[in-house]
Amino acid sequence: MDLMKIFLVALLVNNVVLMRFLALCSYVGMTNDVGQSVGMGFAVTFVTVLATAATWPLYHFVLVPLQLQFLQILVFILVIASLVQLVEFYLKKNIPGLYAAMGIYLPLITTNCAILAVTFENITYKYSFIQSIVYSVGVSLGYLLAMVLLAGIRDRMKTSPVPKFLQGTPILFIATALIGMAFMGFSGLIK
Amino acid sequence: MLTIIITIVFSIILAFVLGLALGFFQKKFHVERDPKIDEVRAALPGANCGGCGFPGCDGYAEAVATGRAATNKCTAGGASTTEAVSKLMGVDAAGEDLVSVLLCQGTREVALSKGEYVGIQTCRAAKLSTGSVKACTWGCQGLGDCVVVCKFDALAMGEDGLPHVDFDNCTGCGMCAEECPQRLFTMVPRDRKGSVVLCSNRNVLKANVIKTCKVGCIKCEICVKSCPEKCISMVNGIPVTEYSKCTSCGVCVQKCPTKCYKMLETDVMGKKKVPVMA
Repeated sequence: MDLMKIFLVALLVNNVVLMRFLALCSYVGMTNDVGQSVGMGFAVTFVTVLATAATWPLYHFVLVPLQLQFLQILVFILVIASLVQLVEFYLKKNIPGLYAAMGIYLPLITTNCAILAVTFENITYKYSFIQSIVYSVGVSLGYLLAMVLLAGIRDRMKTSPVPKFLQGTPILFIATALIGMAFMGFSGLIK
Repeated sequence: MLTIIITIVFSIILAFVLGLALGFFQKKFHVERDPKIDEVRAALPGANCGGCGFPGCDGYAEAVATGRAATNKCTAGGASTTEAVSKLMGVDAAGEDLVSVLLCQGTREVALSKGEYVGIQTCRAAKLSTGSVKACTWGCQGLGDCVVVCKFDALAMGEDGLPHVDFDNCTGCGMCAEECPQRLFTMVPRDRKGSVVLCSNRNVLKANVIKTCKVGCIKCEICVKSCPEKCISMVNGIPVTEYSKCTSCGVCVQKCPTKCYKMLETDVMGKKKVPVMA
């Protein structure tokens, strides 16, 4: 039950894009069409879980005994970036199909702020390893949800009469804020 | 003090370990990439114009190297590129060096306009909203979509209201032909000799075009009758020369009452450059 609660809070109540306004660059940049945004969403899910699985043990079994907790920003960034790079090498060699499908997204999300935020929060919320994994899946699926929602709206926007001074990014932020307000309805879901 | 030392040592160790791992994995999972792809890519012009139908020069290079595409698809690079790529791939392919020719002579002075067009200043918008800015439905809209799309600086809007091709710069990539809403550009081999009709008015009613344009083809078919080689025929209301028979005798050019028949080698390619709008 506890795990379910963590998952739902991460997915809906504290949606990473719509409630906490993280990862906005890829949110605006990669939602030109629905297919692309789904690809990006799953790539982020993959990397977030991977990053959590790597950074949680690193923090608890290396940084804490050495009392180097203050180094976590530096260490996590380095580890996540190298990890993604390693995965890219591996996919290119052994699973070229998946590599071609993920394509440009993998290197793009090496430094995605949502992923870094998840790894930090696993530490600050004092989650266990299992809880951390569930939390990271929830957050990244929340990201996927927000991406697909905006991509669908953008499809409609292409044929809508948007006032000239709102065209482009401004109207996207207004749309995002409106979806965000709708997501506030979820805040009563979990006590 | 101790903390600082531990921090420094730890950072160095971490960077070293990660760097080593990355280097090791790159070697271990190295994917052999066909060196031919890079060779072919180096022989291409690199303008990424997309004239070949592949996503950029990289895409085309990969397609050629893997045998999925012919070696003569790069129109932008012309004959020399085709030759180089064919040599790399070990095949014979005669390249054709194409240039773009505008099949319209409806300058501001000779072609009647419907009125002053003040809408969105692109040919496509003008064509959509008005049918045609000029009274002739087939004529050049004169708003320069082709100039915008040209990546090789080979097109410029003349003061006469028509785009002019700079044949030195034109690579025959065909982007202008694709962009023009009136389909007025045609790609011809650079060394082609013979006559060509610089008009695309396909209204088959005789002499109908006179009302709208002084240099349009009036479908009198004098060229068809007078050609000593019998190499001209009417196709969809426009006389078409068969270049395998044409001897560049110039009879059609002389006989044409509206002077829309021109010689490719002298009147079109050899034409002096027209003053260009700033």
